[in-house]
Amino acid sequence: MQSRSIYFNYSVLLLATLILIAGCKKEDYKLPTAKDELQNDAIKRSLGPNIVGQNIEFVYAMALPPGRGKLISAEVEASIAGAPATFLQNNSFNTNSSGVDIGVPIGQPSVNKGAITTVTFNKDTSAAALRYFYSVPEDARGQKLSFTFRAQSSNGETVTYKLGPYNVSKMDMVQNLTVSDSTGMMYVSISDMAVYNATTAATKADKIDLVFLYRTFTSAFNHALVSPAADPQYLPGITLPAGVNKSTKLRKTFNLQDQQLARLQFGIFIDDLDFQELNLSDAPNFAINLKAEAGTWVETADGKYRAYIYINSVVNRTTNKSAVISIKRYAL
Amino acid sequence: MRNYNKKILVVGFLITSVLMACKKDFPVDEDGLLVTTRAECYVSNFELLGADFVTVRTKAATIDTTAQTVKVEVQFGTDLKNLYPQFTLVTDAKLDPKIIGKVDFSDLANPKTYTVVSGNRQVKKPYQVLITVQPR
Repeated sequence: MQSRSIYFNYSVLLLATLILIAGCKKEDYKLPTAKDELQNDAIKRSLGPNIVGQNIEFVYAMALPPGRGKLISAEVEASIAGAPATFLQNNSFNTNSSGVDIGVPIGQPSVNKGAITTVTFNKDTSAAALRYFYSVPEDARGQKLSFTFRAQSSNGETVTYKLGPYNVSKMDMVQNLTVSDSTGMMYVSISDMAVYNATTAATKADKIDLVFLYRTFTSAFNHALVSPAADPQYLPGITLPAGVNKSTKLRKTFNLQDQQLARLQFGIFIDDLDFQELNLSDAPNFAINLKAEAGTWVETADGKYRAYIYINSVVNRTTNKSAVISIKRYAL
Repeated sequence: MRNYNKKILVVGFLITSVLMACKKDFPVDEDGLLVTTRAECYVSNFELLGADFVTVRTKAATIDTTAQTVKVEVQFGTDLKNLYPQFTLVTDAKLDPKIIGKVDFSDLANPKTYTVVSGNRQVKKPYQVLITVQPR
């Protein structure tokens, strides 16, 4: 009886040791074998809201084993035809040792036909990664966009890859408008997304929402965006053109460097939702002491537009009192 | 033998119950904050932030613990309707009313009053926040 028990115990021990040894066996690495067919992949490169007039950038990669033929064409079909500036790059890129992207031409420049953008290869190529820049058209405002990428090889194989849907923002954006107290380009129109001088402002009085000025007093006045209807103490030395009298609401903001407006290292994006939820009901109609990289939320007097004005840079010289601003605007 | 074990168990249970019942209770107030023995009751620092969360003070606020006032001068052009006050109080004290968001300080003729309540919740001192706007 006892010898049977010992026999059993030894068996269990032996089995456990064998399992342990088998478990520790190192598996040799095997090179993965490539699929013997045409393959593709795509990613969206650009981040943030998709805005009319701006580009959405993608990369489309395609490859097949050289023995099976070569690539003959690549095309992208958008659900809404892009603006004429839409293109599929006819360069395939590789990155050199310094981290610089080197383009290698693989075909003729792309051709847009309706919603389809095509590149026809004229080099013996079996692998390529092409960049696609979709210029968002006015028709796409507030709509959803999706994309179908297709590649064709010389042996008749085709592959497709779908991306989307992506929302297109209702916002408008304008970058780098110079406002200057020295040259008189100080009348900002949110409805036109433009800056005017006093003479032009007089002809567009109903469209002038803000006045830019720079003053140095004992207090911190400095760069300011003030409604024409604000208390005159906030518009010292300003004679407004006839009819310029709107009361625009403003709220100063700091540390909101929207990536698309500032184009700095900050990954912050102002989107439609921010404007929808903005409440400026108790905001004043002036914003003084504005600094570079600050901004103001804006709501026009007629309640038609909400906007965010970002101050890209300021110049404080007595001969040049100016600022560079960028605007995102949302029509209510 | 079995009976003996049972007795030990019962006695052990009773001792544990007695020990737990003797645990000292720490009193808390209606906000769930610890009521302590401290009777000190004052504001030690005051900050005022604008809608952009940047200070609007021109200099440090003057806190008079005898007159129970906080005097603060704000920059010309400050949006007085949208300000965020921040009080620093003595240890264990709390503020009434609580500051839960932006505060409208635009009625300069009727300054806002905040009451500091001491750690033992026995002493209450109202502080007036007196705001003046810097001239241009």
